Amino acid sequence: MNATTTPARVGAALVAPGLGVLTLFLFVPLALIVAISVFTYSPTKIWLPVVTAANYQKFFHPYYVGVTWTTVKIGLLTTMVCAVLGYPVAYFLARVPSRWLGVWLFLLVTPLMVSSVIRIFGWLVILGRRGIVNATLEAAGFQGVDLLHNVVAVVAGLAGLLLPFMVLPLMAAIETIPRSVEEAARNLGATTPQLFWRVLFPLSLPGLVSGSLLVYTVSISALVTPALMGGRKVRMLGNLVYDEVLTSMNWPFASTIAVALLAFTVVVMTLYLRTMRALARRSGLA
Amino acid sequence: MRRWALVGIVVAIYLFLLAPLLIVVAVSFDPTDAFRFPPPGVSLRWYVAFFTNDTFMRAFFRVSLVIAALVSVLATVIGGLAAVGLVRFLARGRTLVETLFLTPIVVPEILLGAALFLYYSRLKWETSVAGLVLGHLVIAIPYVVRTVSAGLVGADRALEEAAMSLGATRVQAFAKVTLPLIRSSLASGAIFAFIVSFSDINLALFVSGPQTVTLPVHIFSQIVWQADPTIAAASTLQILLIAGLLGIAQRVFRLRATV
Repeated sequence: MNATTTPARVGAALVAPGLGVLTLFLFVPLALIVAISVFTYSPTKIWLPVVTAANYQKFFHPYYVGVTWTTVKIGLLTTMVCAVLGYPVAYFLARVPSRWLGVWLFLLVTPLMVSSVIRIFGWLVILGRRGIVNATLEAAGFQGVDLLHNVVAVVAGLAGLLLPFMVLPLMAAIETIPRSVEEAARNLGATTPQLFWRVLFPLSLPGLVSGSLLVYTVSISALVTPALMGGRKVRMLGNLVYDEVLTSMNWPFASTIAVALLAFTVVVMTLYLRTMRALARRSGLA
Repeated sequence: MRRWALVGIVVAIYLFLLAPLLIVVAVSFDPTDAFRFPPPGVSLRWYVAFFTNDTFMRAFFRVSLVIAALVSVLATVIGGLAAVGLVRFLARGRTLVETLFLTPIVVPEILLGAALFLYYSRLKWETSVAGLVLGHLVIAIPYVVRTVSAGLVGADRALEEAAMSLGATRVQAFAKVTLPLIRSSLASGAIFAFIVSFSDINLALFVSGPQTVTLPVHIFSQIVWQADPTIAAASTLQILLIAGLLGIAQRVFRLRATV
């Protein structure tokens, strides 16, 4: 028995089934979609294996640039809303000594795990044309209003879905800040805003960056939320991919949009890794 | 004083988070179909409608539940083996393999859904339960690898070595010593794999066919075509099932280590 090669072989055998599934049902399909994105669309055969730049040129049409801008804008707004709502919750969970911590965490994670379509259905019942808010307004003698089909509604829906993704890493970051640091700042006369901006915010920055990355990347690829809460008026890249694949059957162009979405995600991930490295260097020097 | 202000703000944010779910549960017991809050009475009318509706029953019990159970078992076995290989055996190439196992988390789900749809059509596969199970495995395996790896790092390797010095073979030492120690992380991986599959809509919207409509996809099309509170009853059952499973997961494992 060769002591140096055997563990490596056993290890390779153990990870092989998992890597096999990922190769056949993630990496190969992704390679296929990248390949189809440069192929020619054919109304009869869907796509022909003739390389073209036409799909990418089409993507720069003002309409698609507009949808891309809406998508990025919604992603950024959702991330900001989650950061603002996430800090108080994360601070509370990290700092308040509580026998009820398990309950608070359970109430935070359960909505995250329930299918997004159910949570969006809940918002439709509240905000929809026949929904609770409109019924209350009409009962009070006011006119009903369309609360959906605007950017604010989509951002609110997404922020409700993704808030736990922001809270959990923020909470982990705040937990690592010693309480004594906060107490020292207080004793030296720091007000609450000063305490936040001078102490909590810089020290919890790694948590904020990871939370923002998660919220942003998931929100720019949203499909169900804009479909149900934005309707025809607020369309994101995800809606275009869905329509091009299943309705227009223009698979090459659908693939182009999907690859663009992947490119945005990769760019943001790279920025994230750079930022984290810079933060680590800074704290290493300090 | 300041502390109570913070608690107030946190409760308000939790209400924003939980409001859609609470409303769905409330509406499911409404005797009318007017979607009012609070409901004018309590009735099980929409639950009766759910249990007597063939399409809903099929989507819930014969499609979603079956797929989630298969994904849970397969992801736990495949992901558990991979975690053992990563933590206990691989030295060279470990970082690379670990990164590969985490890639599904950074690939947008609708991108994977669209890619699988094109891939299955290229292979001329009919839409099937197998197609959904394989897609869900891709997104469920990383969860299992992460929880089980965390459990293995926590299980002291010296215990296994002690068993081996007392005459146990490597496999016996693993089965009798380490496996019981990582039981809870395996259970929690299985639960999360089940939930990931049971809640998924982004993949299923692309790869489910007429015979394999999952519960979230059926709910989606019902919302688009005719919203009636049967959706709320079906949703409430899903919320109860998931909350129950998470309650169990929290008992056996620290919830935060997974998410």
